[in-house]
Amino acid sequence: MTVILFILLLFPLAGGVINAVIGRLLPRRVSEVIACLGVVGAFVMAAIAFGLGGWKSLHLIFFDWIKVGTFSAAFDVYYDPLAAVMILMVTFVSSLIHIYSVAFMREDTDYVRYFCYLNLFVFSMLVIALADSLLFVYLGWEGVGFCSYALIGFWYTNLDYALAGRKAFILTRIGDVTFGIALALFFYFFHSFSLQYINAHATTLSVTMATVFGLLLLWAAMGKSAQLPLTVWLPDAMAGPTPVSALIHAATMVTAGAYLLMRLFPVIHLSHMAMLVIAGTGAITTLYASFAALAQVDIKKVLAYSTISQVGYMILGVGAGDFVGGFFHLLSHSFFKSLLFLGAGCIIQACDEEHNIFKMGNLRRLLPHVYYPFLIGCLSLAAFPMIGGFLSKDRVLEATFIHPAPIYKAFWAIAFLAALLTVVYTFRMFFTAFLDRPDGRTADEIKPIPRLMTVILWPLAILAFCDGLLNLPFGPISNGLAKFLAAVPGARVDLGAPAAVSWGLGLGDAALVLVVLTLTYFVFRRPRPDFWGSLNETLFTAFYLDWLYLNLIARPYERFAAVLWRDVDERGINAGFENTAGGFKVLSSLMGLWTNGKLSTYLLMLLLGLTAMLTVLILSWHW
Amino acid sequence: MAYVVPFSHVLVLAAILFLLGAVCALARRNLIMILIGVEVMLSAAGLVFIGAAMRWQQLDGQAFVIFIMAVAASEVAIGLALILYSRRRTGTINADRYNLMKG
Repeated sequence: MTVILFILLLFPLAGGVINAVIGRLLPRRVSEVIACLGVVGAFVMAAIAFGLGGWKSLHLIFFDWIKVGTFSAAFDVYYDPLAAVMILMVTFVSSLIHIYSVAFMREDTDYVRYFCYLNLFVFSMLVIALADSLLFVYLGWEGVGFCSYALIGFWYTNLDYALAGRKAFILTRIGDVTFGIALALFFYFFHSFSLQYINAHATTLSVTMATVFGLLLLWAAMGKSAQLPLTVWLPDAMAGPTPVSALIHAATMVTAGAYLLMRLFPVIHLSHMAMLVIAGTGAITTLYASFAALAQVDIKKVLAYSTISQVGYMILGVGAGDFVGGFFHLLSHSFFKSLLFLGAGCIIQACDEEHNIFKMGNLRRLLPHVYYPFLIGCLSLAAFPMIGGFLSKDRVLEATFIHPAPIYKAFWAIAFLAALLTVVYTFRMFFTAFLDRPDGRTADEIKPIPRLMTVILWPLAILAFCDGLLNLPFGPISNGLAKFLAAVPGARVDLGAPAAVSWGLGLGDAALVLVVLTLTYFVFRRPRPDFWGSLNETLFTAFYLDWLYLNLIARPYERFAAVLWRDVDERGINAGFENTAGGFKVLSSLMGLWTNGKLSTYLLMLLLGLTAMLTVLILSWHW
Repeated sequence: MAYVVPFSHVLVLAAILFLLGAVCALARRNLIMILIGVEVMLSAAGLVFIGAAMRWQQLDGQAFVIFIMAVAASEVAIGLALILYSRRRTGTINADRYNLMKG
């Protein structure tokens, strides 16, 4: 098992390293095949590991990393059902995205750099998913941050894109700070970085400390998972190539934050306060992003805000004490979101790099190969009854609803409203882009796209359509995923809700989704860019959050930095040194006048000096 | 006891001699005259040594004078050679004309 998991991690790392070192010397095909093999190989290994012991909880050590006295940090993994399912999903989705990238990047000359980062990205995410030592997790955590930076700013010659990469890097770094603090505190309390050890001994923590840990980890998760208030990097991250967006949103990076909370669930579970804040963050972010998605015109931005919103559900699931629901939603989200992004990539290339949904139209006729998978993705995102997305979202909502604390009812209401808005923004985008309309695209405005790109959509579409089977709320195979995850500490197999509540919520949810879907059809079957009227600006800019950050934080910071730089550094310290030096220069040039080269002057000075010395001697003589 | 010159007289004479030598070295620009001034100052110092040797009845002072005379002689020898050489190089023995040491 150790060997299998080691090879699993080695595959994408080797792919990345080979491409980085000798990729330029290889023919394009070879480089692409190496990159794809790196991830597909990892998927095969993940499947073998799953078959051999996906249900076990194993702590496996590869080799020691740091060993000082009693302290030791090793390259080790903690392979439990949660990690088993996670790596299976990550490697599967990443494999498809890699293969898709081969077609998508067919005209880009910088494919070596692209595939190298893509492989390293997957490697880092697998480290987060598997690692037992939190230091090792942190390594992957930062690796993911770096690769996202490199890939978002992939087309770095465009200044806006490069800045978007930088923004993502800085904002996620703001989140990472508290992960670092949490690491130090973990070591202080447990004298160990081992996740397994910490989870097993979590109950020794006081409630206050558990709250502190919960909040620190939440802030770290906010950065990676783009939750309020650290959301703003994700919409800008659309600057990267579309498969990268798919990778960031579905398989790697964004889910890492939620996954970390699930991994350390026994710790945060101890504090009601932390759980409350986590749930609140998730619920409010969900609604916030849903509103923002309503008015976007860029197809990728709609999807970006939908990701923020959907990750909010995962966080809400954790906060409601049911991380199984959150994880279920993580899985279904990764399938339908990668599907939607890859579909959007097809659409964008077919429409000649057009991102604006109002300049699309007629795509149902023109791109039938994209239309059906994309429809399934949209249905899943909008939680159409009995599709995967519906069941996972329903489980999260139910867990929130039945939570004993009354405030959770408010969270439930917020999240439920967001779920209905999800239908609106998803199908506003879908109808506008795909339905027939006279001013839409014509056949000669569509560029051909490789067949591979549309074929790749199907496995994802099937999974997005059927993944509800993983965790059906009823029937002979009910709660399959939850039962599988039962061994993970803190997992609840059955939510224990009364049947009436459970059915009522589910049916009510389904009915309302259908009603809203119908309404959306009648409102948005014709493109209506100005539907939101005066609210449009607010929604489009996501409640001016970027503007607020710019003016409340970035600008004052810049001004402060300018004061420090110009007034303190340049005019103060620097000028002080320069003036002092200038003074010495003047002084020395005055002294220089003495050395006029005339022997008589020197002699005179010699005697004057002698006289002065003798005078001092005489005056100080005790007669 | 033979007639003895008081030590203070010796000191006054030496001081006058020293000042004369110093003024000669400072006021004149001719290198030879400066060298002579320096010699006079050395002689003044030697005179003080003689006086002191007589005052305390010790021979050390006289021994020192021998040293001073030896130093002065060698100094003059080298100094005159340098002056001669400088005169050949620059065509002058006016000290103020030498400005190579100007900073």
